[in-house]
Amino acid sequence: MHELSMADAIVKTAIDVAEKNDAQEITEVTIEVGKLAMLNPEQLKFMIEVLSEDTLLEKAEVVINEIPIEIKCRSCNFEGLAISDDSDHYVPIVTCPECEGRDIEITKGRECNVKTIKIEKEDEDA
Amino acid sequence: MHKIAEVEIQHDIMVANKKLAKRNQKIFDNAGVFAVDFLGAIGSGKTSLIEALIEKMDYKIGVIAGDVISRFDAGRIEKHDVPVVGLNTGKECHLDAHLVEHALHDLPLDDMELLFIENVGNLICPVDFDLGSHIRMVVISVSEGDDTAEKHPLIFKDADIVVINKVDIAEAVGADENKMVNDVLELNPDAIVIKSSLKTGEGLDEIIQSIQKFMDEA
Repeated sequence: MHELSMADAIVKTAIDVAEKNDAQEITEVTIEVGKLAMLNPEQLKFMIEVLSEDTLLEKAEVVINEIPIEIKCRSCNFEGLAISDDSDHYVPIVTCPECEGRDIEITKGRECNVKTIKIEKEDEDA
Repeated sequence: MHKIAEVEIQHDIMVANKKLAKRNQKIFDNAGVFAVDFLGAIGSGKTSLIEALIEKMDYKIGVIAGDVISRFDAGRIEKHDVPVVGLNTGKECHLDAHLVEHALHDLPLDDMELLFIENVGNLICPVDFDLGSHIRMVVISVSEGDDTAEKHPLIFKDADIVVINKVDIAEAVGADENKMVNDVLELNPDAIVIKSSLKTGEGLDEIIQSIQKFMDEA
């Protein structure tokens, strides 16, 4: 259950950036979660919403995008997207899509990024 | 008038832990301590293996014993007369680099050569959290079922040493220990995979030699 601690870090990051930008409210926060991060996006979203109560983030829409898995093959030097097979959790991380070799390294898909926030602020030009 | 602005953040939440992990490794290196992170399911034999290694390895060893709320593991290790810090994670399912850093204050690092960090029994959450150890050892046992590696591939992908424990009861629990070895090697051709039984002592020398090999290379 580490969704809660990750959600806490996400909420703090978003609020911190919003405050530095003189936001009155955050309307949207976009997060990217790697397909291989041990995080359940639905739980993560729920936790963020719970932790957002009474903060600048309270009314924000929480958007979670998935980062696909990328690999590097040590046999044929292929670098890029892993085999994408949602019904199989195993094949994408053990098989090179190019040469079907097994000696592959995961290069992407384990992140948890706070990507952007949309904020509402006073229009200085108005 | 209000205006809407989009602010780029691009902040990887995982990076905070990675930074702390790097700092931990620097602390280990400065003190001349080689650190091993022990991961594995509940009841796979992590604590028993650490106890056996303490008895057989001729090094000054210290231990961080992670548990959710109890001090059972720390208590077992204390009996072997080595410095031990029990770390309670509260409700968290894994140790993180920050918790480990705290525990380091209570260990005599300058008078140690080896640090064993026993992670919380779990094959899922600890995967995301590097602690700064030099190697990761995953301990699984035949009684968890011989499809364990297939079911939890990522933890094996990151492992340096994988111990398949309790092979003395493999037949009784209907598990094929060789399948487990092959599954791990398929996921991670670089891993050192060792079949062991802490009851009979099988594999223990090989585990010690493997840790030694990594220490020599460090």
